[in-house]
Amino acid sequence: MPEAASLEGWAPAVGRDGSLEEIIEHAFDYRGDVTVERRDGSRLTGYLYNRDRRVPEPFIQMFDPTGASHTIRYADIAAIAFTGKDTAAGKSYEAWKERRAAQARSEAGAESSSPR
Amino acid sequence: MSVPLSQMWAVASYVIGQKLRGRKRYPLVLMLEPLFRCNLACAGCGKIQYPAHVLKRHLTVEQCLAAVEECGVPMVSIPGGEPLMYPEIGRLVRELVARKKYVYLCTNAILLKQKLEEGLFQPSRYLSFSVHMDGLREEHDEAVCREGVYDDAVEAIREALRRGFRVTTNSTLFDGTDPHRMRKFFDTMMDLGVEGMMISPGYSYAKAPDQEHFLRRRRAHELFQAMLGNAKRRWKFNQSPLFLQFLMGKQDFECTPWGMPAYNLFGWQRPCYLLQEGYASSFRELMETTPWEEYGRKSGNPKCQDCMVHCGYEATAVDHTFGSLRGLRDAAVATLTGRL
Repeated sequence: MPEAASLEGWAPAVGRDGSLEEIIEHAFDYRGDVTVERRDGSRLTGYLYNRDRRVPEPFIQMFDPTGASHTIRYADIAAIAFTGKDTAAGKSYEAWKERRAAQARSEAGAESSSPR
Repeated sequence: MSVPLSQMWAVASYVIGQKLRGRKRYPLVLMLEPLFRCNLACAGCGKIQYPAHVLKRHLTVEQCLAAVEECGVPMVSIPGGEPLMYPEIGRLVRELVARKKYVYLCTNAILLKQKLEEGLFQPSRYLSFSVHMDGLREEHDEAVCREGVYDDAVEAIREALRRGFRVTTNSTLFDGTDPHRMRKFFDTMMDLGVEGMMISPGYSYAKAPDQEHFLRRRRAHELFQAMLGNAKRRWKFNQSPLFLQFLMGKQDFECTPWGMPAYNLFGWQRPCYLLQEGYASSFRELMETTPWEEYGRKSGNPKCQDCMVHCGYEATAVDHTFGSLRGLRDAAVATLTGRL
């Protein structure tokens, strides 16, 4: 099965590329760091590990690289960019099987060329 | 069944106590993940794909104990990540054992022998090493994407048994599993001397690299029937016989997503150990604000339709055992006769 395209490097514009809620859902599902730009112009980069849109004031929660947790209201978010490496991308089972097969071929080659 | 009587009694009295209190929803086992870091990168695992700064972090022992106290379960399973990489695993286990919690330390066993030699753990009826074994050497090394792990795990199991520890195995089965090889595997584990085995079909984590080999429900029933039909009496399973019958298609259960709640760095995972749809900051919040009616087969949720994993259905099987005369009779017959 081919891997789904990674969102790594995506910098969606709210409205044009999706609603803020949709972009937050993508960010919650993303296994890399994101950069959140607040409406006051400040930025926070880190791992978005939670969001709750069912509460009266929907919010996201992030860990920054020092391990500090931050809560930001949806209402304060201007944009989200997928700036960190997607840790779930490019590690397919198929790739591992191919590496194993290549190793087996290489070992077989070494054996057949060794002196008897 | 290989669960010791004292543990069976602790679980039975806990479940009956919950029923007498009229609690419709109660947890049975806490899935406590102190860290996500692991020394393997198995193809079927969707638990470890995080940025380095997240993988470096872990819960404190105090956070772990507070979670255990808050949900009040009699049993704690410590998966991960690899819990033997947790720097405070020795203290965490000691504290849980002191609280008379039955602990299943789920490990790939790569570090187990070393930790035993360091004297990190003491044998106790409350502590079991639950060693990840997905089959015989060839199948296991394939599943964990590294050769040699099976042999390391077998050596560590022997060492743990020699030192008087309780040892069980846990196996996740995927499509393509050969039932005859699994029957040989059961024989091999019994020959090794493990107390019991746990088996479960895998769940298709959205982030797991291997998406092709997860079992669909019908194929799962066929596999488990082929594997467990005419089960040998010497095979001991460290899980409810009704859950095994469910895997074989002989029991029709609904999921209990709150039965084995998961707590990790992000909080209390909604709704269950497998689906990651958000986090609650407390167990109470998890129980009171999760829309439980949106999960399980009856809900129609497509993510739940093919799931038959132990964390959703073993709690149902245990509840059924102590919640109805028929359940108690079925479990007693299976336990006494060894027939599933």
